[in-house]
Amino acid sequence: MAVRCRGERADLADAGVEALTTFAQLLVGGLLTGLVFALVAVGLTLVYGVMDVVNFAHGEFLMLAMYATLGLALLGLGPLLGLPLAVIAMFLFGIIVYRVFVRRLLAGPPEATVFGTFGLLVLMQGLAQAVFSSDFLSVPNPPFAGTIRFAGLAVSQASVVEGCGALILTALLFAFVEYTETGRAMRAVAEDRIAATLMGIDVQRINGLAFGIGAACVGAAGALLMLSYPVYPTAGVPFALTAFVVVALGGFGSISGALVAALLVGMLEVFGGFYLSPELKLVPVYLAYLVVVLVRPQGLLGRR
Amino acid sequence: MIALGAIVAAGLVTALGVRDAVALDLVFTLLLYAVLGQSWNWISGYAGNISFGHAIFFGCGAYASALMVTHGLSPWLAIPAGAVAAAALAIVTGFPTLALRGHYFSIATIAVAAIVDALVRTQPWLGRATGFELPIASGWAALQFADKGPYIVLALVLFAAVQIATIALERSRLGYYLRALRANHAAAAAVGIDERSWKLLAFAWSAVIASCAGVLYAQYTLFVDPPSTIALGVSIDIALIGVVGGIGTLWGPAVGALVYVVLAKGVALELGGTGKGYDLVIYGAIICVIAALRPHGIVGTIVDGLRRRRGALELGAAAATGGAA
Repeated sequence: MAVRCRGERADLADAGVEALTTFAQLLVGGLLTGLVFALVAVGLTLVYGVMDVVNFAHGEFLMLAMYATLGLALLGLGPLLGLPLAVIAMFLFGIIVYRVFVRRLLAGPPEATVFGTFGLLVLMQGLAQAVFSSDFLSVPNPPFAGTIRFAGLAVSQASVVEGCGALILTALLFAFVEYTETGRAMRAVAEDRIAATLMGIDVQRINGLAFGIGAACVGAAGALLMLSYPVYPTAGVPFALTAFVVVALGGFGSISGALVAALLVGMLEVFGGFYLSPELKLVPVYLAYLVVVLVRPQGLLGRR
Repeated sequence: MIALGAIVAAGLVTALGVRDAVALDLVFTLLLYAVLGQSWNWISGYAGNISFGHAIFFGCGAYASALMVTHGLSPWLAIPAGAVAAAALAIVTGFPTLALRGHYFSIATIAVAAIVDALVRTQPWLGRATGFELPIASGWAALQFADKGPYIVLALVLFAAVQIATIALERSRLGYYLRALRANHAAAAAVGIDERSWKLLAFAWSAVIASCAGVLYAQYTLFVDPPSTIALGVSIDIALIGVVGGIGTLWGPAVGALVYVVLAKGVALELGGTGKGYDLVIYGAIICVIAALRPHGIVGTIVDGLRRRRGALELGAAAATGGAA
């Protein structure tokens, strides 16, 4: 009798340990996924904060950066070596898009920015399909292909590099906006465009710079993602959809809010995929968006 | 009205006279997309809430049709059933979200549509990801025809009804309220227009229209699955049609559908095979140019141009009489 009891208890303990390990594994997975979401989302939120524009083509910027990284990798500059180049190229691309296109949208009615950037989404997806076809392409022999095992957890090296890279770059952006003269000017424009103009800030220059930096963020994210993801014309869509949710959740325009929200969304997605079903993994994420915009429209850390 | 009569007459001639299956398919697609674009236009054009999830209402009709037929019921019942389902879905999802403005609403529609899409893909009674193939039948009772002619007639009837309903909308209290809310919601609220209830009404009607198009689509293709009816891609196509033609105008969606069909099929025929993305490049470019230079779309630009010319003429006439006096 006693023996059987102990056996049951041991089984229970085993099951408990297993459940805990699973939980910890999901937690780590969610954190690492969330960090990459953060890097994609901070670019979006910066642009929103400074000029009140939700760039619906943000995911297509990411897709472009992924193709650029692939191109550099094929020339012998692997994803991490290519990263600075991808960042610079996307920064310039962002500035050009702002100068040529977004500036004109800002002069029109408010809905012009919604369907203008939506048109850019369609155009960029079409161009990618025409030039690269719809095939899934990956970097050949990517580095960090192994797995790290630690205390019963298994994490792919690539996702650790992606997560750490994303964290460092998000911190750099935060420091830039918080502590540099240009960053201060950006916050001033975000707060009150007219007052900023009166203080001698060139709003057009700051807008262009913010759009360029937003694109540079996805440049970095695209380079990191190529470590483990394939690229195809609509590769940016799932990341952009998540980024919209993250940005709303964290409060439109708030960089620290985006980081916290991205970690939360990463968890929601990973846990939802495991405990509900993989098909339903995004349902909790979208529900979270709906609940937040309805109950707390300024987001978790946003200000009104 | 004259333009509508001419289109219906031309459509009837096509339905009765043309035997070329490809041409008839183009005409049917054109009419169906014009209806879907107009449905989107009610909530996104006149009311100004830009939706990127409109396909779920189209899906209501298509799935109603598939469920009725596979359960041995008449597809005609799918018209009211789909309409009720679509209106209910519009009210349930619109009640909380229609108070949101600008991109908040647009992203909410993406979220709602993605949730609906994910749920449909996991429900066995909704056919999961594989969808439904409708059994082949023939005749008016089964709402299926071997010939494309009757489909064109049905699509024409639906298109004409929706255009007339839109003319009525433009002249009705609802139409004026929606445009007032779009122009300035604070001012509209100040004169006593209740934003939520009027927009809900418009949203429900818009959903009903899309659902009718969904029934017709299911009876035409005899195949219903998530990617072809409720996925994000379909919603984006519907929004494309609405935006290209000109939002908030009577003929915008029809023009948008014409551009869409001509480009999609024309590019496919000219450059060989779809899926190459050239059509997307052209729409994308058109939308970018319109958004940057002419935010009112093709029809909006023409209307503005006419108004300006008429204004100039009147000014000229006034100047002439003024000079004479």
